[in-house]
Amino acid sequence: MTNETNEVIRREEFGDVAVLHIMTNSVDAVSASAIEAVATATAMRPITVLDFANVAFINSAGISALLKFVVSAKKSGYTLYAMNVTPHHQKVFKMVEMSRYMPPIEERDLAAYR
Amino acid sequence: MQQVLVNIPSVPIFERVVRASADEVGRALGFSAERVEDLKLAVSEAVNNAIDHGNKRQPGKLVEVVFALHNDKLEVHVTDEGGGIDTIDFSRKVVDEQNLDAGMHRGFGMYLISALVDDCEVNSSQSGTTLTLRLYRRNQDHDE
Repeated sequence: MTNETNEVIRREEFGDVAVLHIMTNSVDAVSASAIEAVATATAMRPITVLDFANVAFINSAGISALLKFVVSAKKSGYTLYAMNVTPHHQKVFKMVEMSRYMPPIEERDLAAYR
Repeated sequence: MQQVLVNIPSVPIFERVVRASADEVGRALGFSAERVEDLKLAVSEAVNNAIDHGNKRQPGKLVEVVFALHNDKLEVHVTDEGGGIDTIDFSRKVVDEQNLDAGMHRGFGMYLISALVDDCEVNSSQSGTTLTLRLYRRNQDHDE
């Protein structure tokens, strides 16, 4: 009952870039395990972008899940970015200093790689 | 004073029910959109803490959430049915290299609560723990 089995992350890849579109609107204790399952080196590329366009809510359980991507990127020598982060979530990321490990990137900055 | 009472089993998905209630209560009090988001996150953290650490995810144990709407403030009381605690650590937690390398990816919740609400307090006994969050109404808040 508490597991989200629908597609939680939709993956898009071009060149050295992987964009991981988070499809759940709530990055929380319920969706955390499904999100963590995607946080592997095989899902990532040298430039990996987490797209938060569909995300309306993130709590600390969700942050813990997102940190798995930070760890995987670090181990692989990849660079991790965050895209379409709401101002409130930017504030929360800064509070816990998550933005140091997952700085923001604009959609237009990816155009050069497409 | 008016009150809104929500009781949930200690199952994570029902935290979303409380969060939706916090959203409605915050809007009804005329809090700004930013403060409603702060309220939702703080309540979410308090409820998850009660589910995980207070009630140890035992579905038969309830988490009681009372939204007490005062003229000058909103109080949210989140109570579990656990065995009580000695202290809660509200100190600032951030992501750092040491924690990442050690696999310590949790523990931000209490810090976020303390940073997002105007004040909070803990009352604990052997029959349970109540975490009270307070957000005071400000001049820019308004009745809808």
